Amino acid sequence: MSPARRVRRPNVVALGVLGWLVVVAVPVYAVVVSSVRRREDYLDGGPLALPDAVTADNYLHALRSGFPGYLLNSTLVALGVVALVLVLAVPAAYAIVRSGSRVSARTLRVFLLGLAIPAQAVIVPVFLLVSQLGLYDTLLAVILPTAAFCLPVCVLVLTTAMRDVPEEMYEAMALDGSGPARALVRLVLPLSRHGIATAAVYSALQAWNGFLFPLVLTQSESTRVLPLGLYDFQDEYGTDVPGLLAAVVLSVLPVLVACLFARRALVSGLVGAGGK
Amino acid sequence: MSELLSRRALLRRTALGAAALLALEACGSGPRGPGAARALDIWVWQDAADSVQQAAVDRFNAAGAGRARLNRVPGDGYEDKLRVAMGSSRAPDVFFNWGGASVKEYADAGKLLDLTPVLRANAAFRRSFLPSVLQAGMVGDKYVGIPMRGTQPVLLFLNEAVFADAGVRPPRTWDDLLALVGTFTERGVTPFALAGANAWAELMWLEYLVDRFGGPGVFERVKNGDVRGWHDPAVLRAAQAVEDLLDRGAFGNSFSAVSYNAGGASALLSRGRAAMQLMGSWEYANQLAADPAFARDGLGWTTFPAVPDGRGDPEAVVGNPNNFWSVSADVRDRATAIAFLKTAAEDAYAEDLVARGAVPTTTDAAALLDRSADPAFARFQYDLVEQAPTFTVSWDQALPSAQATAMLTAVQKLFAGQVRPAEFVDALTALPRG
Amino acid sequence: MLWAVPALLFFAVFALAPLGIVAYLSFTSWDGLGAPTWVGGANWSRLLADRDLRDAAWHSLVLTVATWAFQTPVALLLGVWSAGRQRSRAVVSAVFLLPLLLSSAAVALVWKSLLDPNFGLVAELAPRLGFDDASWFSTPEGALTAVLFVLGWQFIPLHALLYQGGARQVPDVLHQAAAMDGAGTARRFWSITLPQLRNTVVASSVLMVVGSLTFFDTVLILTAGGPGTATTIVPLVAYRTGFEGFEMGYASAIAFALVLVATGISLLLVRVTGFGRMHSTREGL
Repeated sequence: MSPARRVRRPNVVALGVLGWLVVVAVPVYAVVVSSVRRREDYLDGGPLALPDAVTADNYLHALRSGFPGYLLNSTLVALGVVALVLVLAVPAAYAIVRSGSRVSARTLRVFLLGLAIPAQAVIVPVFLLVSQLGLYDTLLAVILPTAAFCLPVCVLVLTTAMRDVPEEMYEAMALDGSGPARALVRLVLPLSRHGIATAAVYSALQAWNGFLFPLVLTQSESTRVLPLGLYDFQDEYGTDVPGLLAAVVLSVLPVLVACLFARRALVSGLVGAGGK
Repeated sequence: MSELLSRRALLRRTALGAAALLALEACGSGPRGPGAARALDIWVWQDAADSVQQAAVDRFNAAGAGRARLNRVPGDGYEDKLRVAMGSSRAPDVFFNWGGASVKEYADAGKLLDLTPVLRANAAFRRSFLPSVLQAGMVGDKYVGIPMRGTQPVLLFLNEAVFADAGVRPPRTWDDLLALVGTFTERGVTPFALAGANAWAELMWLEYLVDRFGGPGVFERVKNGDVRGWHDPAVLRAAQAVEDLLDRGAFGNSFSAVSYNAGGASALLSRGRAAMQLMGSWEYANQLAADPAFARDGLGWTTFPAVPDGRGDPEAVVGNPNNFWSVSADVRDRATAIAFLKTAAEDAYAEDLVARGAVPTTTDAAALLDRSADPAFARFQYDLVEQAPTFTVSWDQALPSAQATAMLTAVQKLFAGQVRPAEFVDALTALPRG
Repeated sequence: MLWAVPALLFFAVFALAPLGIVAYLSFTSWDGLGAPTWVGGANWSRLLADRDLRDAAWHSLVLTVATWAFQTPVALLLGVWSAGRQRSRAVVSAVFLLPLLLSSAAVALVWKSLLDPNFGLVAELAPRLGFDDASWFSTPEGALTAVLFVLGWQFIPLHALLYQGGARQVPDVLHQAAAMDGAGTARRFWSITLPQLRNTVVASSVLMVVGSLTFFDTVLILTAGGPGTATTIVPLVAYRTGFEGFEMGYASAIAFALVLVATGISLLLVRVTGFGRMHSTREGL
């Protein structure tokens, strides 16, 4: 081995990256390929082989068995959660950033406490609350707690973003005679729009992927959201793995489309508080 | 209202912030849902056979006596969801269940409509069901359930082509069964498909073995609240027989990842990778939906074999006598609900069931069996149930939910080899009292 | 300050108050149908003596430690690698991110079918890799490994993104200076990138630990805690006890204990590592 040229050096990293690429790509390939096969071919041929005959039946079947309804419900839930979170978290973060340090630090700490509360720990009381409100088995039953559990992260993200607004600009606004509401609309919202986008995307994804709240708080087909729809497909489909996988692929498509349009916001939303 | 008050009392006693209390007071006075104008909310277990109930709902709506809506609830977690809904303000009006023991807690909590007056006032309605099955829908001395599907004994299903290839016959005795395990494992075929991801599928083995070794009295004692009943030697022998089967590789070595609801076990049987499966008679309907050719030509069935020195009758059956409709106590429109229950006694309903391969428990079902998708299978089940000296209800349906959950955990540990038979028996006797 | 009141109130009603109710319910016996009855510390003494729960706690611990040990190096590697600005790296990184687009339910269902020992991907791959069959995944160790792997598949991209963001904030000057001193890639990674990523490592680790302790959707769908109880973790026990056994009181005790432990561990991690402010976290992650 020549000491002058360390040819082998980068291979550890490259091998690692390549290895993970395989780990991600092979299942994705298997899912896509299997979703266009007939059930019998899948059972006899296994998930890897290229299908002899391609069929769209699995997709058509998924579309016919309630999928559009689930999609609509998931979209409504996501929109509702995002709207609620923004309406509540933006003023809260603004208040925390702009008011006296002791009170605001304490308020922030209340929300931070919430970071460590897992949803399933409180699912029983949340269920009680929702059924007392007469909301059991409605989309609102999913929206309200999901939004509440998005608040900690979103308040954190928004306070971080709003702290970056320079003090002098507030002073300038105040000199113009603008009240806090005007300062929020004219100054803070535009300058912290990345933070707001991050919070919105984060909430939308939490709502889109949420499983436990819909599982416990909704019931009927008319309120079924996508993750639950997939979970239920499993029972309905039996060994129809291709049918199930087609439904999975369909459930990813909206996110994929959103991703193409707003990759940056989506990525920072996924990380939660990453967007800087 | 009493439920509401008690819950409010609960909240008072908790040291909640004023905000939470405020919010909850507001909830108490809020609207409690729309009135009687809504359609009857009917819950049914979602599977291949629920088209029969859908047809009944369609006929009911067409007849104009009232409006009903069928809610097909996915099977995995049906009981959990039902329980949650029954505890909430949105209980279904009419719901599918497994009869007496499975709804005892609801009945005790005053959540079920007593159907005794309805049956008493309607002799024709009452007489249209087999008395023994109607009785399985009782809690104490009250009728709370109306039979609404076929009878579901647990049977030993087999793949006839696999048996023919090996040149063997279905087992009559336990020794036959053990010999078959040897034959099939040598040929690289899993002797028994087992949906080990579902504890209830494993439980079926213990239900039959305990019944064959010790007779129906063993579980009857446990069901009546005496946990020492688990100490009966039959329970230990049954667990040992299971361990013996596991050691012989009777279920293959990957059964714990096979799920019944996802169809894995049935696919193993229909694809000839397993020779037999112990399963409820609904297996037929599922095979018919997933693989019609196999259901018609390749699927065989027999009874669970006798065991050496068993005190139980080899003709005894375990399983579900039937499924039932029950009516929630706070049903919005009682008359419509009762009118709907009567559809379960109609000829058209029984004919639909028969066409689906089910065996209805209505009195005149015998005459319909020849019209079944598979008359031989229908006749076999009907005769089996009719001649069985006892019909033991599935244990997980017969015990209170807290006990049933803990029992299923113990069963899964036994099949996973995590506990030996003696430890299994100890775990059963330590079950929480519901 | 008034502007924060609606958010605080809403949060209190749907998150803090329920936590208080959970604490209260943990001292009651309640079947979900009638009214709860006060039983004092009965649930808590049962909790301390519960052998199944102790097993579950052990599985949770193993899973948490193994998750950290598995996900951190891979995520670090992928994150730092993809922080490079080359076009090829951006394309490959896009593939890495694919699992993030799937909901937990979708991930678990996909892997459930891929890991099916009879008809899944593993059944097809095992013989080619020299194994007799794929039954290893049905053993207790195999199932736990499968859970560990699937959780990694699902969450490594997220942590890789965290590391990517962190690595991109490392000033280029540092690397250039070190390169001029003749430091190779590996040396620069250990002496510059990693120390600079300290905060990211802590944030990611807290996320992973709290997540592994509390997350259970994937396990519920993938293995349902089996074979036997080999992959039964504490949150799953709480869910089962509450919503299958309907012992809401006991379930509340388990859930509350879980919150205490998770909060304690994350505070400890933050304190020990001197990381004053948690940067980000995701509920239930």
